[in-house]
Amino acid sequence: MGVVSSVGLGRAPFWQSLVEGRSGTSTIRSFDATRLGRTLAAEVQDFTATDHLTSVESRRAGRCSAFALAAARMAVRDAALPEAALRSERASVVLGTTMGEADICGVLDGRWIHEGPDAMSPRVIPKFAPYLLSMQTAQAFGCRGTVLTLPAACAAGNYAIGYATDLIRAGRADVVITGAAEMLQELQFAGFVRLGAVAPERCQPFDLERLGLIVGEGAGVMVLESEAHAVRRGATALAEVGGYGLACDGFHITRPEPSGAGVIHALREAIRRSGLAAGDVDFINAHGTGTKANDAVESTAVRAVFGERRVPISSIKSLIGHCMGAASAIEAVSCVETIISGIYPPTTGYGSVDPECDLAVVANTAARGRADVVVNHSLAFGGYDAVVLFAKPDHLPSPAAREGVA
Amino acid sequence: MRPLAITGLGVASPLGLGWEAFRAGLAAPAGAAFSTTPTSFTAAAHPALRVAEVANFDPRPIVGDKGLRNNDRLTRLLLVAARLGLEHAGLKRAGAFAALGPTEVGVCASTAYGSLEAIHELDVVARLEDPRYLNPARFPNTVINSSVGYVSIWEELRALNATVTNGPTGGLDAFDAASIWIDAGRAKAVLTGGAEAMSEGLWQAFRRLGALDENPEVWAPGDVGSRGLRLGEGACLAVVEDLAAARERGATVLAEVVGYGAAFEPAEDSQPMVHVSAEALTRAVHIAVASVERARVIMAVSGLSGLGVLDEPERAAIAAALGDVPVKKPKAWFGETLGAAGAFGVAAAIEWLSDARAGDCAVVTSVGFYGNASALVVRRPE
Repeated sequence: MGVVSSVGLGRAPFWQSLVEGRSGTSTIRSFDATRLGRTLAAEVQDFTATDHLTSVESRRAGRCSAFALAAARMAVRDAALPEAALRSERASVVLGTTMGEADICGVLDGRWIHEGPDAMSPRVIPKFAPYLLSMQTAQAFGCRGTVLTLPAACAAGNYAIGYATDLIRAGRADVVITGAAEMLQELQFAGFVRLGAVAPERCQPFDLERLGLIVGEGAGVMVLESEAHAVRRGATALAEVGGYGLACDGFHITRPEPSGAGVIHALREAIRRSGLAAGDVDFINAHGTGTKANDAVESTAVRAVFGERRVPISSIKSLIGHCMGAASAIEAVSCVETIISGIYPPTTGYGSVDPECDLAVVANTAARGRADVVVNHSLAFGGYDAVVLFAKPDHLPSPAAREGVA
Repeated sequence: MRPLAITGLGVASPLGLGWEAFRAGLAAPAGAAFSTTPTSFTAAAHPALRVAEVANFDPRPIVGDKGLRNNDRLTRLLLVAARLGLEHAGLKRAGAFAALGPTEVGVCASTAYGSLEAIHELDVVARLEDPRYLNPARFPNTVINSSVGYVSIWEELRALNATVTNGPTGGLDAFDAASIWIDAGRAKAVLTGGAEAMSEGLWQAFRRLGALDENPEVWAPGDVGSRGLRLGEGACLAVVEDLAAARERGATVLAEVVGYGAAFEPAEDSQPMVHVSAEALTRAVHIAVASVERARVIMAVSGLSGLGVLDEPERAAIAAALGDVPVKKPKAWFGETLGAAGAFGVAAAIEWLSDARAGDCAVVTSVGFYGNASALVVRRPE
């Protein structure tokens, strides 16, 4: 696994920060947000593309692709995967994002608006496309199979990981580089401020006094392999992907559907398709944006699925902000770290219980507990609901034992 | 792939609204849809450049006028295609479900550059006025998956909701995603295909790249003398279902989707970032036709656009993989529609297969701008 985040580059620093409850929120450096009345974000401030990318890659990649590529390179190294294994028709790339190369788009648009369309450089134009992060990653590793981008807003990471799993299960790929990336950009930030979604100081998921989200950025990438491929090369699995669930609210473009029917369905499907029952889930990585509506609906869904059983739940968005398209991918990495370590990362800023969100929140400091099965929630813009289940290696029932599972 | 049935087609194209208008347009000589005077933006300074728009596009007669105010052109095109497609498949009648239900039907559509119009619109406000004046009701349009999200809301499609973005191949890749999800039991029917809206940003970008056709006398997709493409727009959504399930519910099967292949070929560092790979398409076609008897493939429905740098590798790949089959060029009718192109290729293949005598399969091909390529096999139903 590889991570680019506001609290650390790479698995170990990232996880250490989460366990210690260290926040990545700071004053935005990449643009002046003063006029918007919101100046904080979980910005990745110590990332230098050339530390991770070749000079040709750095020249071609916008910030979003650079995040993706850096995290992918970390993941491939972490997997001890020989690069030759990726230069194959059986190797694919499936990544998610919301905006893709938003910085390149902003540069081109700025030139056009201020100087006219002829100021848009033909050298820069090819560097913009919302799907370039996957192309750049496939290019870097020489992957020759399916290369695809799923822009599923804040559920993009889960969509990508789920789809990557499908490709492997369908026998279409042996190994898939998957995850998602997103960069903080001025227009997007301003839009979220104008939607009234951005908190003034901090993100406090599930807290009674929560005032919204903190925008974040980064990338989370994992190497998924078929079991046969992993066994063949003697790899150690960090975790296994069980099933995943998808649903669609079909309700409102930005507001979640109040009954939580979509999230409930996605969560139940993720569990059912893993051949497990709700009682098997040990920990929930919440979508937990810190907005009034999201946290209430998510709580409703958790209660509907788990009933009286108070499953530990936490939202690391309190630490790394809401990384939009990258959120569920970065959080997937956190889920796997939880499985490896048995540590639940904390939800910081949690002080008072909201009766609407009366859940077993891992409040303010990390906790230890059973972590054989972890679910990763994502609810997104456009009414997307996606939940992925991760499990400790060899913990899941064999595929043959799972009814109706593909 | 497990064969899928296409049971409905919703088309909003430069040839008109609806499947019958599309068919009639294809039966007429190519070229009528192109104009030097775009209506969706002003391009008075470049009178030689032709585009194919959905002329006088008005979604209201089809989807009504309530709630359209903040939707951009891409969303409106998709909404029209979605409604037409669902009704054509018999899943909806007068806007209400007539077969299957909201949790059984999903949507998965491609767009390559879908949110450019909205991004530019909001950028103008933020940069020339003040970011505090951004209209929050328009902001969702800047997010590339929002137009497909609106389709799910408008049509109550709750099984799943996905956007695919992969450049020109996305309209084929979306069919594959739909197939995987239907196969996995996540939906019984999926509205799939793609859409792209004409916008000044898109047009200016291709113009600055020198990719647009400036010599109308020699413009002919796939011909050696042709040196540029013409942008088009539109939305094309097919209702796809498991073949057996579609027959069971008594649906009319317009076509079957029986093969798909995708491949990527990296470039050398010394090559330009934009590179089109004949090798990738050759491989994609081989994968797609693997389970199809070769003699049944009677045409390639290509993505040939008139831009040599794209067309030459595609022609070479089709020849290498399929030999001497006739190569159709649907973009001669409605231009380069990017994220919608693959889906329009599928629609054109269905129409052209209906007249064919020997054989019953068409391979729809597409090359991406960065080394990827996809192919889909469409079969005329028995």
